Amino acid sequence: MSMAQELTRPMPHVTTPGGERYDRAIDLERVRAAHRVLYSARETLMADGNTAAAIATLQMWRCVIFAGFPITPSTKYIETVAARIAEDPKGLKRIKLLEAEHAVADYMVGASAACRDLIFPTATSSVGLDHMTETTRSLGASGLGNVLLIDVYRATANFPLCIEGDPSDTLAHRDDGFLQIACRGKQQIYDTMIQAPCLGMHHEVLTPVMPGYYGIKDSHRSARLTVEPDLALHAFQDRWIQPCPLPGLINGDTAFGNCVTSRYFQGFKVAQKHRMERALDLLPQIGADFARTFGRPGLAYFDQTGWRDDDSLDIAVVSMGPDFGTLETAGPAFEKKTGLRVAGIAMRLLTPFPSKAVRRRLAGARVVLVVNQAHHYGRGHLTLDVVDALSELDRPPRVVSAFAGMGGADVSEATWEAMLEGAREAHAGSPTPPYRVYHEGRAL
Amino acid sequence: MHVQEWPFFSSARRGAGIRSFLRVSRQPITAACEVTRPTIALLMDEAAARSVDFAEGVPPGGTFVLNTRRSPEECARHFRLTGRVMTVPGDDIGLRFLKHTIGNISAYMAVATAIGGLDPQTVIDSFLHMLEKRRIPDTIIEANRRALAASVEAIRSGDFEESDPRGHRAAEFGGYGDLPVGAQTVLRLSQKNRTADYAPSGFRLRFEDPALACTGCAHCITNCPEGIIQFSPDAQRGLLVTGVEISTFCKLCGECIQVCPEKLFKEMPYEEVWNEEVVAS
Repeated sequence: MSMAQELTRPMPHVTTPGGERYDRAIDLERVRAAHRVLYSARETLMADGNTAAAIATLQMWRCVIFAGFPITPSTKYIETVAARIAEDPKGLKRIKLLEAEHAVADYMVGASAACRDLIFPTATSSVGLDHMTETTRSLGASGLGNVLLIDVYRATANFPLCIEGDPSDTLAHRDDGFLQIACRGKQQIYDTMIQAPCLGMHHEVLTPVMPGYYGIKDSHRSARLTVEPDLALHAFQDRWIQPCPLPGLINGDTAFGNCVTSRYFQGFKVAQKHRMERALDLLPQIGADFARTFGRPGLAYFDQTGWRDDDSLDIAVVSMGPDFGTLETAGPAFEKKTGLRVAGIAMRLLTPFPSKAVRRRLAGARVVLVVNQAHHYGRGHLTLDVVDALSELDRPPRVVSAFAGMGGADVSEATWEAMLEGAREAHAGSPTPPYRVYHEGRAL
Repeated sequence: MHVQEWPFFSSARRGAGIRSFLRVSRQPITAACEVTRPTIALLMDEAAARSVDFAEGVPPGGTFVLNTRRSPEECARHFRLTGRVMTVPGDDIGLRFLKHTIGNISAYMAVATAIGGLDPQTVIDSFLHMLEKRRIPDTIIEANRRALAASVEAIRSGDFEESDPRGHRAAEFGGYGDLPVGAQTVLRLSQKNRTADYAPSGFRLRFEDPALACTGCAHCITNCPEGIIQFSPDAQRGLLVTGVEISTFCKLCGECIQVCPEKLFKEMPYEEVWNEEVVAS
């Protein structure tokens, strides 16, 4: 059959109140067979965060179309994808640069709804994410778990403009309806990109995913990266991703623009919340499977450092992002100096917030120091979540809130020490303010 | 061996000065903060050293690598360096072999030499292998090979003790104080955001008015985006320009050069101002 005949041939479809549904319009096996293998064996290379994310998405056979709009600090993601695709002009993959960020989001809606078994990745930052907001909120509710919106954290649209990375953009979009996963370090970025669609496209979750990493601090910093062979990656994803019917408005279709009654709206949101909460159960399972398959830590609610068998300790630190790595070196020095026991967690799953797991982990601490890096007019996004998580304990630890690294500012070892000193004051029973802002080793 | 490297830059685009950091360790690297006590400091652009202490934080006995045609002795004296000083004329080598003043090739070789324990041929092969993976044409790879080999030969080194009274200590952060709302000139959120570092390499602004030709038109004052034109009000002639404070915030945008009717502002090659103690004109 010629291509023209094939295209004009009547296609079996299902009629729904929302329109016609063509369940077998895309031959997934042909898409898979057309994938050009990027790595046929495990390799080690030097890469920055954007490159690590780009490689991971290029390796997925389900990622065929990459929509994008360049914005610092995520630009290199789309540049890397474009360069690799250009190397293979006969390949199946295509890149589509659109005229504005909101156009990217609109495109993602259309494409991801039309090809529900493929994955549609893009990367953006700050203002770009803000421009996408209206559409991304609809996306969040749509059940289109095949959207992979990579947020390269940058201080959100604000005054004064700042192109460096803090997570205020992703935290400003907590309620867009995306699963939000934070990464730190090149390897974790790469590994997370592989696992995130497994969670979002799982038939019990069907929720778009927003993995993210710090702009500049991780997007532009190079370090060692181990990449897996494409086929191993495919086998892993295929275990978790299977074609399935969509939840959503009107008979299983994704229908944007439909206006419903408040009663239906509320019911829909209840179902959406349930799907998102199901991710809490599935995330550790996917992480464990990844660890078994590739021998590296998989998805988890948070990273941990300094914890011993005995859960009781003096100061527990809650933070996120690459600056947590500096605590891993500054913490032991503080312990040695003060005799206090310090341990920490770096949040990975931001939405839904894993309150139970956080509560269990922090229950034995006397003081919890929460380090926020995103500007907030109260005690900080993370602080509010942690306080909420601890509220069900009979004797919750005292929570000390700190801000550091806003706008992507450096968080030095001296700054970590100053923040730990603040926690030590609380440990000694001194009154502490609702929050303190720290920079270059001092409280401001 | 594990490495971690990253640049630190502002919103300025091409031509801006940047700082970069490199950690090298036999253990996995977890620290993510800037390197404030470096073992080795590299100065890629001599002009940048007019407004930045490139040796900041290096303890006495550290290693200083400079992309310059000057000798280690001259550099140690000029920048008051105590420790090992290594120089390599990277821009010249780049121009000779790669047709551009690309000092990176030589700086790469010099820093690898400063780190020590690395066989020069392995360092060269590693670099060329990276170019091959990027599918760089063979002619350019060969030119890089020759530039790398020339760099090995051109590295000069010596140990010196030219201590700086300040000891190249970093200025202590004094807080932000009161931030007045207004133009960028006064809204500097960090003392480190010295926009003079964004000036094109190799040039500096110079204001000269020996004949007192300034007409007091104030065009330069109103057009300078950094507000660094110094002036004195004159009842008859207007605002007479007396100089420009270029050490910190002049990014050599050229606005003053364009608007001055008397052509009192000009770009000076950096070579001509290398020995000036006070960076102002």
